[in-house]
Amino acid sequence: MTEFAAYYLGGSGTAVLAGVLLVSLASGVLSPIVVANRMAFFSDAVAHSSLAGVVLGMLLGLGHPVLSMAAFGVMVSLVIASLRQRSPLALDTLLGVAMAGSLAVGLVLYHYVRGYSDLHSYLLGQVSLLGWADAAILGANAAIAVVLVALFANRLTLVAVSRNLAQARGVAVARYEYLLIVMLGLVVSLSVRAVGILMVNALLVVPAATARHVARSFAGLFWASIGVSLAAGVTGLLVGDVLNLPTAPAIVSAGVLLFALAWGLGRLRGTEA
Amino acid sequence: MSDPLLVLDHVTVRAGGRALVEDVSLSLPRGQLVALIGPNGAGKTTLIRAILGLIRHEGRIEVRGRVGYVPQHLQYDRGLPMTVLEFMALSLQRLPVALGVTRAATKRVLELLELVGAQKLARARLGGLSGGELQRVMLAGAMQNRPELLLLDEPAAGVDIEGEATFHDLIARQVRDLGVTVVLVSHDLSVVSEITDHVICLNRRLMCEGNARDLLTAETIARVFGGHKAVYGHAHGHDHTHHHNHGNHRHD
Repeated sequence: MTEFAAYYLGGSGTAVLAGVLLVSLASGVLSPIVVANRMAFFSDAVAHSSLAGVVLGMLLGLGHPVLSMAAFGVMVSLVIASLRQRSPLALDTLLGVAMAGSLAVGLVLYHYVRGYSDLHSYLLGQVSLLGWADAAILGANAAIAVVLVALFANRLTLVAVSRNLAQARGVAVARYEYLLIVMLGLVVSLSVRAVGILMVNALLVVPAATARHVARSFAGLFWASIGVSLAAGVTGLLVGDVLNLPTAPAIVSAGVLLFALAWGLGRLRGTEA
Repeated sequence: MSDPLLVLDHVTVRAGGRALVEDVSLSLPRGQLVALIGPNGAGKTTLIRAILGLIRHEGRIEVRGRVGYVPQHLQYDRGLPMTVLEFMALSLQRLPVALGVTRAATKRVLELLELVGAQKLARARLGGLSGGELQRVMLAGAMQNRPELLLLDEPAAGVDIEGEATFHDLIARQVRDLGVTVVLVSHDLSVVSEITDHVICLNRRLMCEGNARDLLTAETIARVFGGHKAVYGHAHGHDHTHHHNHGNHRHD
């Protein structure tokens, strides 16, 4: 136990712990907005699109493909947002096209990558390899999420509750939808290195989905979502370490376990929706 | 008319090359309860949305005052944990509601809920409200910017008769006590004859406009609604008369 404490609190694992806490904070803060706006499938589509960003970074010889990932993630987000405003097709159809298209582009580009490439770590995340540079990126990620939510949460929530009503109350709905989409694109892309393309969406959906079972107010939902996200992050990190499991899937598994417990608790308390 | 609150000058709204509202001109005075009536698909909601500036239109729309609005349907996620207080505070405070509702916003929300006799609903969950309760909360929300013009788009749809009567009394009170001009979209002709001062009949074009009691003759109703119609009273003592159009049941 003391060995663990020494590793994560002051040793080389401090950056790993900081990275997990920061990525959990960002996803916990954003999760209620994602779930209220029914954007779960959207964040999944953006996560898959970041594969093309990773491969593009490899082809360009970038040591850390964070810039190409973020740029590609935001670009795909903007394309989806723009199509959403203009196309008569349903959002899930557009997302299906965008996800499959960007994944295909990523895999086609990967064909041209020569030599060793660490694609696997981007698919499943590589929490245990996080260094201080990654922690700094995840810190920026968390700061973006916290600042944007602090500034615009009320309007984004009003848009989520009723687009019509928000419009009538002078909220520029389309502008806020773009903002949310770009913010999610950025946050998803920046989180991929830590938790992986396949797992990042769960981090944005599971906390608020869990919190909804027990919260009686929006404030309760918000704080419970952050709590669930941090608890799943730390539990997954430590249990994954003890049992020698891949960390990102262990974090998501811990989150899903909390979801099941909250569901049961919600049924007992009568708050389950 | 001196200093009208709302002026529409040759207003036309088109969608897909078809006119949903065509060449409507009218002006409304302050402090009146106005009914906007017409069959389904007549363009009532479209005209309301044009007045709110939510859709493109031809012609001139001039609103000389603040506007409040209660939409026809509030399609929202009933499972979202959110209290009425939090919902109403969303547009009353800068601080994210997730961090708490400020004292000033709480005071204002309670004042607004008191206007509609719904103070006890402040801590209730939005998703758990009945149709009538939600309607009152929406009306209170629409009053938050102290509107001079209140647009209510069939607010009583899906509410039981007693709840509907209470709601209409509340609307009449806003007009009487606060001097608000209310435009009430309705297909319920008894409401029009009982509580409104002024009637606008719309069937894509403006079919008639004027005093409620003068206009609501069988002849006018037939001209506005057309087709097969039935006019009858409910058996609960309240002489509600409904128009039933058996033609297209399309939402406009």
